[in-house]
Amino acid sequence: MPDLFKLVLQISVILGVCRVVGSIFRKIGQPRVVGEMFAGILLGPSLLGWMAPGVSGYLFPQSSLGFLNALSQIGIVVFMFLVGLGINPQELKNHGHAAVLTSHVSITAPFVLATFLSLYLYPRLSDDSVAFTSFALFMGSAMSVTAFPVLARILIERNLLQSRLGTVAIASAAVDDVTGWCILAYIVVLTRAAHSGTPIWMTIGGIVVFALIMIYGVRRLLGGMQVSYQQWGGLSENRLAFMLLLVFGSALCTEWLGLHLLFGAFMMGAIMPKEQKFVQYVLDRFETVTVTLLLPLFFAFTGLRTNIALVKGPEMWMYCGLIVLVATVGKLGGSTLASWLTGMPVREAAGLGTLMNTRGLMELVILDIGLDIKVISPALFSMMVIMALVTTFMATPLLDWICPDRILRQGPANVAAPESAVPTLARSADKISA
Amino acid sequence: MSHTNRNFIIAYILLVALPIVGLVGILKSGRALAAPISIDGVWQLQADPVQLAALPCQKALAYGSDTSLAISQSGKNFSLTLNNGSRLTASGAIEGTTLTASLNSAAAPTAENGVCGQSGELLLVATVNPKTDPRSLAGTLSVNNCPVCVPVKFSAVRVTPPKKGSL
Repeated sequence: MPDLFKLVLQISVILGVCRVVGSIFRKIGQPRVVGEMFAGILLGPSLLGWMAPGVSGYLFPQSSLGFLNALSQIGIVVFMFLVGLGINPQELKNHGHAAVLTSHVSITAPFVLATFLSLYLYPRLSDDSVAFTSFALFMGSAMSVTAFPVLARILIERNLLQSRLGTVAIASAAVDDVTGWCILAYIVVLTRAAHSGTPIWMTIGGIVVFALIMIYGVRRLLGGMQVSYQQWGGLSENRLAFMLLLVFGSALCTEWLGLHLLFGAFMMGAIMPKEQKFVQYVLDRFETVTVTLLLPLFFAFTGLRTNIALVKGPEMWMYCGLIVLVATVGKLGGSTLASWLTGMPVREAAGLGTLMNTRGLMELVILDIGLDIKVISPALFSMMVIMALVTTFMATPLLDWICPDRILRQGPANVAAPESAVPTLARSADKISA
Repeated sequence: MSHTNRNFIIAYILLVALPIVGLVGILKSGRALAAPISIDGVWQLQADPVQLAALPCQKALAYGSDTSLAISQSGKNFSLTLNNGSRLTASGAIEGTTLTASLNSAAAPTAENGVCGQSGELLLVATVNPKTDPRSLAGTLSVNNCPVCVPVKFSAVRVTPPKKGSL
């Protein structure tokens, strides 16, 4: 039985600290989500556990963390459903050369550089129970991710969603997210199959069958929900509960198939009908509790697993610096180069690269999976969390410095973002980051 | 083919296709790399209680039949916790199949546990046998700066290896 007093106390402390730190970060021009990520670190062994071990031991005893983790995972399952809901396949179809090249280079450049760095890090920060291929592919996918919600938030704040920069950034980030999750799914299957009795072809076959059922069966069922919404102007509580059941059912299926809960939730969101008002309605129903209550728990739980003390000595800090450098050069440099080659002015291209380099919450979700399946060690996890914080934190000031607003407010994009997608995304990002 | 399309294709080959070919090469060459031996997990400790009792800090060790070591590994470095109520922690490094760690008994509640020798430091040196399944290790536990203390031999078997692929 959970100690309810302790659990409620933990939740209260986490919410309080996250709101305060988030507000401070807002005042210095950062999205709130960056502050909440930072608050999680403050509550963990890196600060509270180091400065006041007694308080930390009382607030977050090891035996109580299972319940906190369960709640935070439920939050992330719903959040991934909302991320999938915010992605419109039209964005992936309707972009031209600039977005295709930029998005693909923004994946391949950090991915290849990260695997190259893995040649150096694997003998130093991993162990022989992890195959090099899994380690390198994980590092690649973790470094090539872009935080869709944070990126959208920055674009909204600067009124850049309809600019050339904004549309290419949104399209590229959408492609990055889908590709990144596919690669991560492959790594998880590879890692889990190596340590379970189930042959890999059965796992892959199961996933293919599941995907076909989702796309050709469940999707039609969901279409009925949209029709019902259009008829009645809303959905009954029973229908919303049924939608949640489908999300959890889908998550359970992917977990059972040897993938991960989050892939099922993301896929359910991705196959949902994309009519703008319907999407906004669903987001309104699920976002508030998820973003204000459950996501901070995830940040705190991630912070409790992050121990910056493990990054000790000049050698370890050099590894950490290399990770930040490679992640930034790959993502920022790759995106900048590609967009400049497709005709974007150099400052604007650098601005796009800066936006693509934002990793935020999505990075933490991926890192948590990596630590859970033990592809990365606790010290490497801490270094990667530092990288996520640094790259997310640097986005806003770097964008201010590289390209002032007057440069960014160019004419219409050579690639139009689907009109229906942008307001929905903007609304979603506003809640997540504000 | 238009000028724009040609440039796009060239850029795509240079920036996307070629790096992917390079990626395959990196993954192939990386397979030859050797990472430190895995010691992550919980190890069941076996030691002679009589020898342990002779150590000046035997209370800190408080050996019992269910005493175990929890090891959290990050590459060559690891941290170790003695699960016997004292929650003695240590940090160490692994080189090849040899692991060394120093446990600071002074960091534990000293009034009850007692301090090991003048420095309060216990040295753990052990060799991992990677060929056994589950993995085992054997080594000695000695007190630093204590010439009269006899090193205690111990062995351990990994009871919970890292659960790769499970959550």
